[in-house]
Amino acid sequence: MIAHPSKPLSPAEADSFGRELDAVRERVLADLGQRDVNHIRGVIRMARYGEVAGRALLHVGIDPLTFALGVAALSLSKILENMEVGHNVMHGQYDWTGDPELDSQSYEWDLVADGDHWRKSHNIGHHVFTNILGRDRDIGYGFLRVSSLQPWRPLHVLQPAIVVWLALLFQWGIAFHDLHLDVSLAGRQSFAVLRRRAGPVLRKAGWQLAKDYLVFPALALWNAPRVALGNLFANGIRNLWVFAVVFCGHFPDGVRVYHPDETRDERRGDWYLRQLNGSANIAGRRGFHVLSGHLGYQIEHHLFPDLPAARYPEIAAHVREICARYGQAYNTGRFSVQLASVARLLVRNAFPAEAPRWFTRAAGRVLVRARPRRSIP
Amino acid sequence: MLTEAILPTRRPGLGQRLPETVSRVIATAWRRWFFDRHAEFWLRELGTTWSFIAPRARVVDLIDETADTRTLVLAPGQRWPGHRAGQYVPIEIEVDGARVRRCYSISSGGAAPGARRIAITVRRVPGGRASTALHQLRRGAVVGLGTPAGDFVLDGPVAPELLLVGGGSGITPIMAMIRDLVDRRQGETSHARDGRSVIVIHGSHNAADAIFGAELASLAARFDWLRIHARRGDDVESGRLDAQALRALVPDLAYREIFVCGPLGLIEVVTQAARDVGALHRVHQERFVAPAARSAGAGVAVTVALLRTGVEVVAAGPGPLLAQLERAGQRPVFGCRMGICHSCRCRKLRGTVEDSVTGVVSSEPDQEIRLCVSLACSDLELAL
Repeated sequence: MIAHPSKPLSPAEADSFGRELDAVRERVLADLGQRDVNHIRGVIRMARYGEVAGRALLHVGIDPLTFALGVAALSLSKILENMEVGHNVMHGQYDWTGDPELDSQSYEWDLVADGDHWRKSHNIGHHVFTNILGRDRDIGYGFLRVSSLQPWRPLHVLQPAIVVWLALLFQWGIAFHDLHLDVSLAGRQSFAVLRRRAGPVLRKAGWQLAKDYLVFPALALWNAPRVALGNLFANGIRNLWVFAVVFCGHFPDGVRVYHPDETRDERRGDWYLRQLNGSANIAGRRGFHVLSGHLGYQIEHHLFPDLPAARYPEIAAHVREICARYGQAYNTGRFSVQLASVARLLVRNAFPAEAPRWFTRAAGRVLVRARPRRSIP
Repeated sequence: MLTEAILPTRRPGLGQRLPETVSRVIATAWRRWFFDRHAEFWLRELGTTWSFIAPRARVVDLIDETADTRTLVLAPGQRWPGHRAGQYVPIEIEVDGARVRRCYSISSGGAAPGARRIAITVRRVPGGRASTALHQLRRGAVVGLGTPAGDFVLDGPVAPELLLVGGGSGITPIMAMIRDLVDRRQGETSHARDGRSVIVIHGSHNAADAIFGAELASLAARFDWLRIHARRGDDVESGRLDAQALRALVPDLAYREIFVCGPLGLIEVVTQAARDVGALHRVHQERFVAPAARSAGAGVAVTVALLRTGVEVVAAGPGPLLAQLERAGQRPVFGCRMGICHSCRCRKLRGTVEDSVTGVVSSEPDQEIRLCVSLACSDLELAL
């Protein structure tokens, strides 16, 4: 096991650490009000106006400039809707408002991934069993090797190239995430179960494809190819952005992966500690955080997944202070630094631990500079 | 029903099925392509109160009735389904970001479908979230509007002899009935009016506190079939009503259809007087306050009414509601069982629960709770 900078806590210390975080949570819950609703409605408004502007530019324009502007507006709208609105609403961050449009259990996002599937695999699977090997499917999503604790297989050498494709098609990665395709391929999930899991996913994806590549192009009449292409670009840009933000959440240097044995009989304080040490933040300005759905505050998000994300900046101040007192590392860095760190990790783990160090390092230098950097818009 | 069971049902032909299928596909596509939420958003953005899913109304007039009571005249955003005098309507407003839903008696008379205006009359309750916020609304504000409901209504096309008793804000549905009677009886011939009278007993603390006091007095002066008895709590002569005084005031009590709305004490007095003369079956009552739920503190066995399933179970033993319901043989949906995923969220219509993590107590009606972190503190009604 790699040495981790966070101090191991005794059960009593962990309990009191948990109580302090509970107190932070209570303070924010008691303070929720109009400004939180105003914030999310403001973002929704931005996304809706962005979508109408983007579609109008794509539908009626004929020149490359309006095409570029249309794609930009549409991708911005999709990013806002998926990240700050969709992801956060579906976490139940706004259930306290009682507004049916902000209802976690019925919200559906403009993404090929099916909402119900995601709510189950992400809210329950990933957020409860965060970074536990074999239980959290977000550790490599069943086909990437992101930790030296995962066994190496020869196909992993293709990992850097696969990741580039995953970035471009990230919404499909999220959509197929809960199918457990890898489990079926390994012969541990029957075809019938796979088909049952695939039903809602394929239905949602079908409607999404029809919307982006049939309905809206058809509405544009002679401009149909332009609109279809614009939608493809907007989806692609959104995919790259979401991929970059999401991969910086759990894969940068210093993030811990847990063995199931370590997390047996875990108490609330231990759960908080695992969330903290299993996540990494991205430092950035307010605009960056809104565009990333405040996932740059991945630590705060994992500690309090159902508190409105726009509160994470103020929560972060308390969390850092508590972490400092308990000797816990608080993993944060600039976007470029965290991304480079993720790229290094993906390359390093593409090769077995026994590979010569000079070789992995050289491969990393070539691949990292060439691939993921360029994929960030 | 019987014939349906016996006769073989024929599958409807394609000609009949097609329109239904087409409309279903369109409805699904409308939702799947997010046109529904776009439509709602742009309707709101354009300032209309029309909606496909959540009817709304605009406040078009505000009338101060007393120092703490105000009438809100509402213009429904879409076709009003119609209501009968005495019914109530759920009103939804946003208070500090959170939706609050309360039922208010409609104080304007009965209205046919498509009515342009309805009115509710709201007394400001000290510390009441909804009533305080409703009093702060300005002209032009928009509120959510539910479907009118309630069986506290005058039955039949022609009203029999009536006794209407309204105490405090309980006068609001009574006022709707009186306005309705005035409208209806203006159309009738004088012959039909003969021999039928309406007695109204209007209770309040004092004259300044009497909602609709002046309006009732002027109506009584205009129509000979309408008699108003104002009872003021601070007035030595009239004073508080008791069953004996009521029988003296209305000698023909046994022959009247009785409608009473107001504080529990008043309802009891009227019910007692009616029982004395053997007219209990003629009493119709409406109360605004639900009987207080017993709050015993967490850990006590309570009765939980699951309204969707239509069963009542006893929740007992250690642990949160989710575990208690499971032990009682129920299978509510759940996820993380630690209060973070919101899968087991459900609406609590009545009762008190305590959040096992934060210790926050929720005792207001109509609040969302998570079963996995809620400790039952009283008998509950859940939308499960």
